[in-house]
Amino acid sequence: MLPLRALLAAALLGGAASAQAPAAQDASPASPAAPEAPRRYVVERVALEGLTRTKPSAVQRHLSVREGQALDEAAVLASRLRLLQLGWFSTVETRVQKGSERGLVVLVFSFTERNTIVVSDLVLGSTGPQPFYGGLGLSDGNFLGQGLALGGAFVYGGPPAGQPLAPSRFAVRGAFFDPDLDAGGLPLVLGLSGVLLRGEELACPDPNCNGFQGRYGDAPRVRYDRLGGELTAGIRPGPFERLLAGFRVERVTSEVQQGAEAAGPLPSIRPGQSLITALAATYDRDTRSDLFLPTDGSRLSVNVTFASPALGGDYEYARLLVQLETDHRLPWGHGLRLQGAAGTVQGEAPFFDRFYAADWAYFTIGPAVGRALELNFSTDSRYDAVLALAGTEYAVPLWSSGGFFHRGYLALGARWTWTAATSRTGRTPASSTPFSADVALRLDTPVGSFNVSTAYALDIFL
Amino acid sequence: MTRLATPLLAALLVAVAPPAGAAAPGPARSALEARSGRLLASVDVAPAFPPELQKQLANGLTNVIALHVALLPDGEERPIAIFGRTIDVLYDVWEETFGVLVKDPQTPLGRRQTFRTYRELRAFLTEARGVDLGPVADLGNGRWVLQTRVEVNPVSKELLERTREFIANPTAAGRGGGPSRSVLGTMASYLLRGADPGADVHLFRSGPFTAGDVERR
Repeated sequence: MLPLRALLAAALLGGAASAQAPAAQDASPASPAAPEAPRRYVVERVALEGLTRTKPSAVQRHLSVREGQALDEAAVLASRLRLLQLGWFSTVETRVQKGSERGLVVLVFSFTERNTIVVSDLVLGSTGPQPFYGGLGLSDGNFLGQGLALGGAFVYGGPPAGQPLAPSRFAVRGAFFDPDLDAGGLPLVLGLSGVLLRGEELACPDPNCNGFQGRYGDAPRVRYDRLGGELTAGIRPGPFERLLAGFRVERVTSEVQQGAEAAGPLPSIRPGQSLITALAATYDRDTRSDLFLPTDGSRLSVNVTFASPALGGDYEYARLLVQLETDHRLPWGHGLRLQGAAGTVQGEAPFFDRFYAADWAYFTIGPAVGRALELNFSTDSRYDAVLALAGTEYAVPLWSSGGFFHRGYLALGARWTWTAATSRTGRTPASSTPFSADVALRLDTPVGSFNVSTAYALDIFL
Repeated sequence: MTRLATPLLAALLVAVAPPAGAAAPGPARSALEARSGRLLASVDVAPAFPPELQKQLANGLTNVIALHVALLPDGEERPIAIFGRTIDVLYDVWEETFGVLVKDPQTPLGRRQTFRTYRELRAFLTEARGVDLGPVADLGNGRWVLQTRVEVNPVSKELLERTREFIANPTAAGRGGGPSRSVLGTMASYLLRGADPGADVHLFRSGPFTAGDVERR
């Protein structure tokens, strides 16, 4: 959208027609009939129309016009735009009606609510040790009509290949988030998340489990369960920032299952029952213009986790992860995204709190496959303590006003991912090359954003 | 015809360029005349004001209509002259009249008019008369077209920026910023943003003409 007023001001002050136009050639067909400025009215009442799910109190929090004040049209427009950007409504219209007496008006906001329940995750995959697995995630961005975010996701794989009587592998996650907690005017945020997971990591002498020739049921493995949650609270120092602090508690149970051959290196986890207690701090700054196809702005996320027996747990480690993304508009409406990430883990962190290289690459050449809800269905159970990533994506918008698929763009991405077991070792060859690339069709629909990715398909076959 | 300075021309080029998603220019009825050596145009932009717009223009809040008329060499996109006008329309719910404030090169500080009915208002809005596009002699022997852009309630990027806030809420899938492999995008809120604030953009383009087609008065 253009700054038309600025452009017009330039045209009016220095434009061609203005300086030399004869006075007789007035563009107006009629002379002024009412030279006085319009009257100012007082807002007697603010009325909200069309709300069926959304609570009026959730809307009123975002209004910058108040009853009893003079009608401020700039504040009305700002309120309308703010409400539109919440994502709860497809249209927000405003109008003024006569009030109970002359000089008073009723300010009416008329809403058309939109669907806020969307598919956030759809997982389908196949590996040798797990011939089929799948999952689904749903999220509501306006839970209970209060502007709360509630999401849940699961992945189910069933018993692993060759072990029909073994426990099924699955993961369930849920998250609740209040991005705008009304606490006496303080800009607070509050979140709660939980996880229930049963998984296993193969512990073959080599990452491919070549010695078992496809009989994965004979492979040694570590079975484990996780049950826990995290409570997060924070503030919004600015409109684009969040500063969060969290406390995480998780009970972990693990057991080594011997196979037909001696086990290789075991993933880092305490045998038997153990407890993780950790403090987490996150700084998040997001100025992106759009989440589907940003062409302006950036996102910076710094996450620090500190676990210690002093907090009542069994593990002692620290984890730092920094992620940065910047987005740029190119000619013809194209977009360029630059991505970077760096992370390190020090101490005795369980394997699932370390970095799994395949999670960060578009695809890997080798046995590793990106995890789903932190469940690893591949034969490769190497987790690393150091991560570095650099990548870029070039976006070509294809359409922006469709029906069900109302926006779409072609994404061409390239990424370099490097991980290592410790800071002084070389790169872990989770893939034969640290480079990966993707050609993807991204689709924006009323039920979620689809990512039709060639790299995703490649990852299964390579 | 006054030649526009390069920076200004660049800015105005942006102003008349079709926005992403705008429909292709429709045909425009226009009349041209030469008066006192100046090229004056009258443009009919009635399709930009359909009957359903009455409800919006009578909403009791100020509606802004931006009109740009550009003179372009036929087959090119760079205008050599441009006329800009803004019209603020405000329906007074107690007086039950439409007040307008018109700003253009002739009245940069604005002039006010009042209309008793929507019919009168629409008649005023749909025909832009006396649009001065500079000396008629500048037409020379070339072929020209008029491109008219009407924008109803344009919303500036600056204002959108001021109302924007943090947009990415955490999802269930990720923890600690780590990714999760998914066929779908992992951000549920992807589709929730970017609602259209509702600006209407209409483009009109005349047929080609030459200096010989301009009526002399």
